[in-house]
Amino acid sequence: MPQGETPAHLIIAGLKRAGIDLVASLPDQWLGDLIEQCDADPAITHVKLAREDDGVGICAGAFLGGRKAALICQNAGVLLAINALGGMAFHHQIPFLVIAAQRGAFDDGYYYQMYKGRLTEPVLKAAGLPHYVIDGPEHLHLVEQGARQAFLSRLPLTLLLRRNALVAKREG
Amino acid sequence: MDRITCAGLIKQKLTPKDIVVCGLGSVEAAYKQVGPVGPTYFASDPMGLWASVALGLALARPDRRVVFLAGDGDLLMNLQVLATIAAVAPANLRIVLFQNGSYASSGGQILGGAETLSFATIARGAGFKTVIEARTEDETRKALDQLFDGKSLGFVAVHVARDKSPSEAPGPLAQAEQRALFMQSLDA
Repeated sequence: MPQGETPAHLIIAGLKRAGIDLVASLPDQWLGDLIEQCDADPAITHVKLAREDDGVGICAGAFLGGRKAALICQNAGVLLAINALGGMAFHHQIPFLVIAAQRGAFDDGYYYQMYKGRLTEPVLKAAGLPHYVIDGPEHLHLVEQGARQAFLSRLPLTLLLRRNALVAKREG
Repeated sequence: MDRITCAGLIKQKLTPKDIVVCGLGSVEAAYKQVGPVGPTYFASDPMGLWASVALGLALARPDRRVVFLAGDGDLLMNLQVLATIAAVAPANLRIVLFQNGSYASSGGQILGGAETLSFATIARGAGFKTVIEARTEDETRKALDQLFDGKSLGFVAVHVARDKSPSEAPGPLAQAEQRALFMQSLDA
């Protein structure tokens, strides 16, 4: 990762290169920096959600109107929104990018997060929805590439980002 | 007032430039019966998502008015979306709710809390500045005048009579095909 570039910078640059300028989000501790920067960026329309499936609807509506969008949430939000993703977006063939914090694996530290790490990938696979796990910031080029795949395949594509890919390491 | 009459009054206020997102079930049946005016995106399952689809469309097309025709059972599934919409407050979005307190297309089952539920109160509490409730044809006409003549986000709840509205047989096009045609029609 080039010096001075945090994961949030790299993710937002990737979104912009893919033509995404509308973001709907619900916070997670690991997503704080990314969401704060989306909110502060005048080139991005940022919609604050109360439930993640509304984000699926907003991204879908944006695509219908010719605008590219992304949903940013925790993987628990992917689980909550699976009916909207697998039912509406898949069925209507509506593409957008989902950037989700992949909570509940070796890099997490809470009992109550663990089910999310166990469930998210199998549930996405069962729903027939493409997804990739991003282990660290060196793989954040997948934001742009994943978005391009989503729009070419007319399906929502989910990137599951581990802690290292979202939270900047502190110096010293 | 029946829902067909309500749909007819809405139709009088629409222009061919308006983009309509039409809720499923009895709302869809009513709007199809009076005949869509401009580009219309018809909802499907899952219920509860279509207010947010209308919000996304409004944000993508600020040059066009977006009208969401909602059923109350549908909207009740995701009430928090009203807070999200009110916070964004797109000036080009209008919502008209068909309120009959029942799930008309699944057999007319009554909504939990149907007798006490006030969607207008909920919309006001969510932050909508223009909220109107109408119970008669005359009230509905005036409410729609205010909604469509206004220049900002607004919400009208119209009380319509309960009637059963069985699901129709599927048409020749699946939703993905209708989606492509809808997108094409926006730029026609």
